[in-house]
Amino acid sequence: MSVNQYVPDNKESKYADSARAFRQNVAKDLADEQLRSNFHGAMNYLMDKRKASFPSSDELETLRQQCKLIKQRALVKLPLLLEQLENKLHENGIQVHWAETINDANEIIAQIIESKNGKNIVKGKSMVSEETALNDYLQARNMEILESDMGEYIVQLAKEHPSHIIMPAIHQNKKQVADLFAEHVKGFEYTTDVDTLIGEGRRILRDKFSRADVGITGVNFAVAETGTICLVENEGNGQMSSAVPDLHIAITGIEKVVEFLEDIPPLLSLLTRSATGQAITTYFNMITKPRKSDEKDGPEEVHLVLLDNGRSQAFADEELRQTLQCIRCGACMNHCPVYTRIGGHAYGTVYPGPIGKIISPHQLGIEATKDLPTASSLCGACGEVCPVKIPIPQILQRLRVESVKKPTGSPKELKGTGANRKTTEALTWQVWSFIHRHPNIYAVSMWFATRLRALVPNKLGAWTRVRSAPKPAAKTLHERIKLRTEEAS
Amino acid sequence: MSELNSQHLRKYPAKPKQVYLYGTCLADVLFPDSGIDAIEFLELHGVEVIYPQGQTCCGQPAYNSGYNEEAKSVALQQIAQFPLDIPIVIISGSCGGMMRHHYPSLLKDEPGVDAFCERIFEFTEFLVHVLKIKLTDKGEPEKIALHTSCAARREMGVHITGTQLIKQLDNVELVVHQQEKECCGFGGTFAVKHGDISAAMVADKSASLVAADVVKYVSADWGCMMNINGALEYQNQSLRGQHIATYLLNRTNDKAVSNKDNADER
Amino acid sequence: MSYKFEEQSKSARNAILAKLKAQVAGADYEKLPEEPTFEYAKQSREQLLENFVSLLKSNHAEVLPIKEEEIGAVVVKQLQKRKIDSLLYNPNAQYANALASSFGASSTELTLLPFDFNVNENKLNYFNDIPASITSSRWAIAETGTIVLWPTPDEPRTMSLVPPVHFVIADADTLHSNFASLVEQQNWKAQMPTNVLLISGPSKTADIQQTLAFGAHGPKELIVLLLNSQ
Repeated sequence: MSVNQYVPDNKESKYADSARAFRQNVAKDLADEQLRSNFHGAMNYLMDKRKASFPSSDELETLRQQCKLIKQRALVKLPLLLEQLENKLHENGIQVHWAETINDANEIIAQIIESKNGKNIVKGKSMVSEETALNDYLQARNMEILESDMGEYIVQLAKEHPSHIIMPAIHQNKKQVADLFAEHVKGFEYTTDVDTLIGEGRRILRDKFSRADVGITGVNFAVAETGTICLVENEGNGQMSSAVPDLHIAITGIEKVVEFLEDIPPLLSLLTRSATGQAITTYFNMITKPRKSDEKDGPEEVHLVLLDNGRSQAFADEELRQTLQCIRCGACMNHCPVYTRIGGHAYGTVYPGPIGKIISPHQLGIEATKDLPTASSLCGACGEVCPVKIPIPQILQRLRVESVKKPTGSPKELKGTGANRKTTEALTWQVWSFIHRHPNIYAVSMWFATRLRALVPNKLGAWTRVRSAPKPAAKTLHERIKLRTEEAS
Repeated sequence: MSELNSQHLRKYPAKPKQVYLYGTCLADVLFPDSGIDAIEFLELHGVEVIYPQGQTCCGQPAYNSGYNEEAKSVALQQIAQFPLDIPIVIISGSCGGMMRHHYPSLLKDEPGVDAFCERIFEFTEFLVHVLKIKLTDKGEPEKIALHTSCAARREMGVHITGTQLIKQLDNVELVVHQQEKECCGFGGTFAVKHGDISAAMVADKSASLVAADVVKYVSADWGCMMNINGALEYQNQSLRGQHIATYLLNRTNDKAVSNKDNADER
Repeated sequence: MSYKFEEQSKSARNAILAKLKAQVAGADYEKLPEEPTFEYAKQSREQLLENFVSLLKSNHAEVLPIKEEEIGAVVVKQLQKRKIDSLLYNPNAQYANALASSFGASSTELTLLPFDFNVNENKLNYFNDIPASITSSRWAIAETGTIVLWPTPDEPRTMSLVPPVHFVIADADTLHSNFASLVEQQNWKAQMPTNVLLISGPSKTADIQQTLAFGAHGPKELIVLLLNSQ
């Protein structure tokens, strides 16, 4: 036992404030023509790629149903599978740690690195480490950490966070990347040639890999049956981060566990095809053990950090639990008309787009994220493409209910229930409901609406900023039909 | 099959003598012509139409705003207005989606809801699958576009039936506009609560309809058309949307063509 | 090794598991819905091979159908073509002697570098001084154009990753139609090694403006020496 007890720090996530600024973010990003054109181009590209990779709708629908059920089975067995995963990983020689909050997870990672006296830290792509703001945490402890996914590297140079979960730097075009390199990379000869830019990144990052003593990665799937951590990637940086340094720390959410190794092939197939339209990514890396004594490479120590951070809250409600089926393909954002227009940063949350709107309330609370569930036309495009059939529009509707209902203080309530409840709005709907369940009162109101049509103002707030105001008809349909029936008889 | 949905496994009844019409609150107060035209069209095809005067609104505005209790009482009030076991034809895919696909969960402990939902048919769905209608085009050659609301597309499969009906009109060329599947940005209270996002969406939708170079676009949803037409009018574009009931009536009935065109587009 | 956070981690573990268990207590695992699987049309060996090769090629791998006895000569020719003068290899491999004799007979100066070092102690050399490597593979997957590497002490996991050019020997007789059938038929769950790698082309990225670029971190070139494909 060590003498110094770790004191947890319950500081709020940095994403809470940026999510609160949703409306300001949207106003700013909608006005950025370059940003909108970058997203528009990228989303069209990704939608076309996905479509082309599913030539058979029968196959697609069977796979979606299969993978939905695989994930639902994993969730209904989740506590058992987590225990099984932990046991198997221990047997395999991989150490497992648990964290309820982002700061606990960061602290665990910081202490492991310190215990090995780690100096040069490289990170493969990991959205969970973005969620915990691990880089900030380690930097505050005077540790240098370098992002090694090309997109993440660009985003780190720009001091931003990813705007897309699969393509972190999708908000930047090549000229913007070239400008960034010109500003930050010593000896960079200005060019917007993508091959040269990537070559430059390769040169810098391979040098870092060759000196790295700690590698941090995320996890795409964790297999309980065999104690295997799976990484899906195209670049090879995940493999570099997990195989080259002496210490590999993987971090993931508790929902990433699946039961059987045989659950992996269909999930992998749907993941890569939904994400980028690839039949498979260049690399699929399955890590089951640290380096064995007779092996010449690989990390001597492997750790897995399992993070809750609100996931158990989603788990506690059967409808919201479906949120945890997510395999992080990003198809919902690629197909979302809102995401396409406002871009990933406007959400202010680590996970943007439709899936972000339904995950973030559990991580940051409904108060900080109260503008997210309503920022959807409920068009259903996300639910239509979700590979594991998460009913995202239905869950958005549910979160709207949770955000406007009167909180009762019950422990089963979501964090921040009722945070978006406004007395005037609640009253409006009560009056609306009263009118619409009393046909006579409704008829009188509509009679007035049509007779006073000339008085309808030409300015109706947000509506008439880009549209003409609708004008009531001279007579309602109810009246016209009454007259018509009378005429006929 | 991602384009399809449970609607496509639906079993359809034989052609009935009588149907109910659900007019929707938007058509009631803003666009009543489309309701009258739907009735005339159905009558011309040998179906008697009953319009219960007690109907108001399907409850969707409150439901989508998270006020389920308020939506629920209104929904129950609607169900009570349609006692006969005959089809209920709705001239909006969005309200149809609400009544057919959302009532079961909203009203899950109420008796008779499933049977009610089974009787809900969107107008074009009813024409294609129940009436198995054959249209004779009597209009001049023209090019039009079709805009399908998201609920209509994803919950009711109306993009298929709407297209099928227009394709029956020999002189009409249906032009598919860019991003045809994309939402117009209406989304009920979304358009007001997040006006700037909605504005960006309707700007793109209206631009792609204008770029399609058509004389009009048709739709089965007044929500979307109020949004898109409002934007087109604001931009001083001449293009407008017309309800598909009005359009079909005008194209197939020689009396109707001249005097009723565009009646609902103020 | 003990960490300061251990108590905290243990209590987090108990709290998380307790919360989850409370929600699914009494769940009947016998009554879970049946999971459908898609029945793919059976393909002939020729079709599978064709698919495998064309996918690899579309992912920018070079595929060279050769006979086993040609390995040495083909590798020498490919290295000369690229003006590469050394190759990292596994001296215990079946094809090692064949390689050695072809290298000996080469008209240009070519060196075979045995993987006989510990990576930890030679990282800088490893990253900077080794231009190419050759490894074997265990299986291949037709549906995705994938080669399965099953690293061993003789052929360590980074051997296919760090050198900028990677030669891999794939055997058409090990071709499976898809990943699912491979995992099942070869009973992977009973024999997972330290690390398994599925490789489907050279390293790539589209992170800058969706423009594909090869050689992001790993090999810029993947050359597949395909045996028994005739």
